[in-house]
Amino acid sequence: MGLFAKEKPRAASPVAGRSDHETSFFGTKLSVKGKVSGGGNLIVMGNLEGELQGELVVAPSAVIRGEVKAVTVTVSGSLSGTLTAREKIHLEKSAVVSGRLHAPRLSMVDGASFNGEIEMQKPPESTPPLKGTSRNEAN
Amino acid sequence: MVKDASAGSTSLVSRPVVIEGEISGDENLHVDGRVKGIIRLTGDLFVGASGAVEAEIDARNIVIQGTVTGKVLARRQFEVQPSGRFNGECTAASYEIREGAVFEGISKMSSSRPQSDKAPLSPDPNLKKKL
Repeated sequence: MGLFAKEKPRAASPVAGRSDHETSFFGTKLSVKGKVSGGGNLIVMGNLEGELQGELVVAPSAVIRGEVKAVTVTVSGSLSGTLTAREKIHLEKSAVVSGRLHAPRLSMVDGASFNGEIEMQKPPESTPPLKGTSRNEAN
Repeated sequence: MVKDASAGSTSLVSRPVVIEGEISGDENLHVDGRVKGIIRLTGDLFVGASGAVEAEIDARNIVIQGTVTGKVLARRQFEVQPSGRFNGECTAASYEIREGAVFEGISKMSSSRPQSDKAPLSPDPNLKKKL
């Protein structure tokens, strides 16, 4: 993907302005089973069972089952199974999660429901200095 | 064009995304990335110019600007636009293949909605007896 010259995406993605991060969207009535890879971000409002790369946002109406792997995951919906995030997992107030979470960073808002097991492995690089909020140049 | 909103919202598989597996549901789907496997939709499937689909497909209307390979059922219309390529077996109630498009394979007309120039293939034999 990165090998080719990047063009502006023609079709409008729901989240504009992030030229190399196109956002995919699975609506409430769509069910996806399998392996989702390749990058970009993903907003899931329906059913997903599988494995993916990139950023995953689980919308309030979403039901996710099975094993999901992503870089960062934000959950507002329901998720059961094993969730592995390479960077972080965030559970919103409306999240209902059961299963296993693996991530180097985890946050949970008051009201989120979680039953299961958490494993916080060390991030692959050296740990951020002190309370490093953002080490890269993102404001 | 064939797009109408009767099946509700449209899901999007964006360009960097590759899905291997099964996608099904009561939605329209726009594919700019790659999908391999099975697609079953009550709505429409639109494969954008950068989209590549290798799948068994069942959808209402199918519009192809990219590449599609596989066994396809379009319950209403199957359309290949000038940049589109189709390879496989297709069954549809109506076809639209634009100049420049590539269609390799087999096409069948589904009898659910007979076209004006195509009579139903086998009239009911019982019909004659009754008359």
